[in-house]
Amino acid sequence: MKEQILERLCNAIVECDVEQAAKVAQEALDAGIPAIEAIQNGAAKGLDIIGSKFNSGEAYLPELILAGDAMKAVFDVLSKALKEENADSSAQLGKVVIGTVSGDLHDIGKNIVAALLAVNGFEVYDLGINVEPKTFVQKAEEIGATIIAASTLLTTSMPYQQDIVQYLVDSGLRGKYYYVVGGGPVTADWTIKIKADGHGYTATDAVEVCKRLVRSGQTPGTFEPVILEYYQS
Amino acid sequence: MSLRTEKILRSLDRAYNGPICSVKDWDTKVIPQTIRAILKKYGLEKTCDLENPINCDDDLADQFFRAGWELALELGMLNVETERIIKITEEELIDTLKHKPKEITLGNGSDQVILKARKPEDPTPPLLAASLGIVVSEELYVPIVEGIVKYKKLVDVLHGPSLATVYGRKIRSGTPYETLMGGYEAELRREALWRAGRPGMANTGIAGAVTEYGHLGGASAIGGPGNVTMALCPVELKTNFAVFHRVMMAINNNMRIRAGGFSYIGGYAGPPEGAALANIAVDLLIATILDSDYTSSYVYDIQLLGNCGRKALWANSVAIQAVSRNTNLIRNKIVNETGGPCTDMFMYEAAIGLMNHCVSGASKTTQPRSAGGKLTDYLTPMEAWWCGEVFKSCAGMTRKQANEIAKKVLPKYEERLSNPPKGKSVLECFDLKEMRPSPEYHKLYLDIRKELIDLGMPLDKVYEEL
Repeated sequence: MKEQILERLCNAIVECDVEQAAKVAQEALDAGIPAIEAIQNGAAKGLDIIGSKFNSGEAYLPELILAGDAMKAVFDVLSKALKEENADSSAQLGKVVIGTVSGDLHDIGKNIVAALLAVNGFEVYDLGINVEPKTFVQKAEEIGATIIAASTLLTTSMPYQQDIVQYLVDSGLRGKYYYVVGGGPVTADWTIKIKADGHGYTATDAVEVCKRLVRSGQTPGTFEPVILEYYQS
Repeated sequence: MSLRTEKILRSLDRAYNGPICSVKDWDTKVIPQTIRAILKKYGLEKTCDLENPINCDDDLADQFFRAGWELALELGMLNVETERIIKITEEELIDTLKHKPKEITLGNGSDQVILKARKPEDPTPPLLAASLGIVVSEELYVPIVEGIVKYKKLVDVLHGPSLATVYGRKIRSGTPYETLMGGYEAELRREALWRAGRPGMANTGIAGAVTEYGHLGGASAIGGPGNVTMALCPVELKTNFAVFHRVMMAINNNMRIRAGGFSYIGGYAGPPEGAALANIAVDLLIATILDSDYTSSYVYDIQLLGNCGRKALWANSVAIQAVSRNTNLIRNKIVNETGGPCTDMFMYEAAIGLMNHCVSGASKTTQPRSAGGKLTDYLTPMEAWWCGEVFKSCAGMTRKQANEIAKKVLPKYEERLSNPPKGKSVLECFDLKEMRPSPEYHKLYLDIRKELIDLGMPLDKVYEEL
């Protein structure tokens, strides 16, 4: 019975079925399955499958996004139980506020990273495109984020990535949020120059960077940035 | 009111009164579900042939065209601000294709060139615009552009690099810095073209303009029917008011309209077949909805951050051939290299990507995209010259010949696509005073050129015939 429910929960995520995911999550609760187990042995397995399929070219961006939505539905159902189990913090890696910075309307790269973060266990708050620096910080404060992630495809919008760091510093919040940057023109040099905490060359790298940052336990802004970039010299 | 204005206003009106659809639903449901259904209906699922990256099957290209036609009519384009769909009728699409010119003139005076619709294996050489963005330092802008446009046989249109700064200040998107940059870039372009002795060469807008501010800032300086505006639509099959602003600016300044929309393998369109299908549809839709003089759409692989791998080569070949064989639409098709200047990787990627576009029927390309356009000053005139040499020389090759060459060259670089060499910056591998590559870069050029000629690529043709 328990194994069947966990398998159905996994399948609901793989099939990107938001309603079914919520329904099976409720069934798991009703059957007395601990919420943390439902997440780890059911829904998260589904996310692993979708993530692997995306990386191997068997699944595409819509599936990533919808699987993330299904996972969110599962968390919505299980959140109260997770708190009671005192396991909410271990069930998810953390909350990420993500967006494309001011002056930039490109969203596909940011959407891929947001979706991959969601299927890898982060709770993602996507602010969309053309987002003002202070909006990132305000949202992070509002939801208690762990990471702020800023994307741009435009060299002329890169200064806004720097503005976010400065806003964090000026408002005394630099030590509170890991700050990662990404997008077409963003490089390791830029990441170091603006004193961000991390950067990944691909969307998959960006997720790995976020995981490493969260697991590092270090105070944001106080260490060498985590950078995954593969350009050969 | 001109017919063009009437058509654009009709589209803009539809952006306010067309069927409602959220961007999220469009991206995650409408686009993937419709593409999947149409691929299935037309028997096009799993037709991507990675062993033959340049399609040689006319029937397959035609079947893709029929499917792309249906997709265009079924979907239309979503306007993201109003979240309404701009749909077109079949009569409007037929009317568009019936009245599009088979050729247009770009540039002025002795620098004028004719941009023509081409068919697969067409012997008419296509045109090359250079460069494809890429940020360069302010003090290097004029010499780099002067070098890029130096040879008439190789480069026809100035797209141009982007400026890193304006009068030493950072350029911020959507601010007065960008507006000022628009006029400044136009001024620097004029100077570079004059220095190169090609003052009448066509410009395709302000390269550094990422919002309408930059375009509006420079439009008046490079207006007129010899020049072109550039309006790039969001992925997938979407448009927005920034695009309409640029089109209206073209109308106001009597410029040509170039508009594009990209299709991403692995993105909303899904597999290579889905991206090819979406790319065909977007060419048809943009020509109708934005009344473009020519389109600039291509397929890109989001896993490889470029389009020189097998999947993207195949998808671009099918999409280009489908539209070339069945319409007279003039299309600009772009290659996104990942390797940087002075690397074999860049030269192989450019050679195979451009050969593919040329034999498949593209009319024009915008090149180079050295190092994926990611690094400041990683652009030299040499990459533009190489792209011109390859793109034009391949005119008249058969797709079968091209496919055989691609199969031999791909193994030389494809494993490095996710780990490309960044190469060297302009000051490290090019002499901007003498306008020649460094000895190392020159040797690399000669070696790879010989290697490709030995494989059957007719690279001498550009110098013999043009």
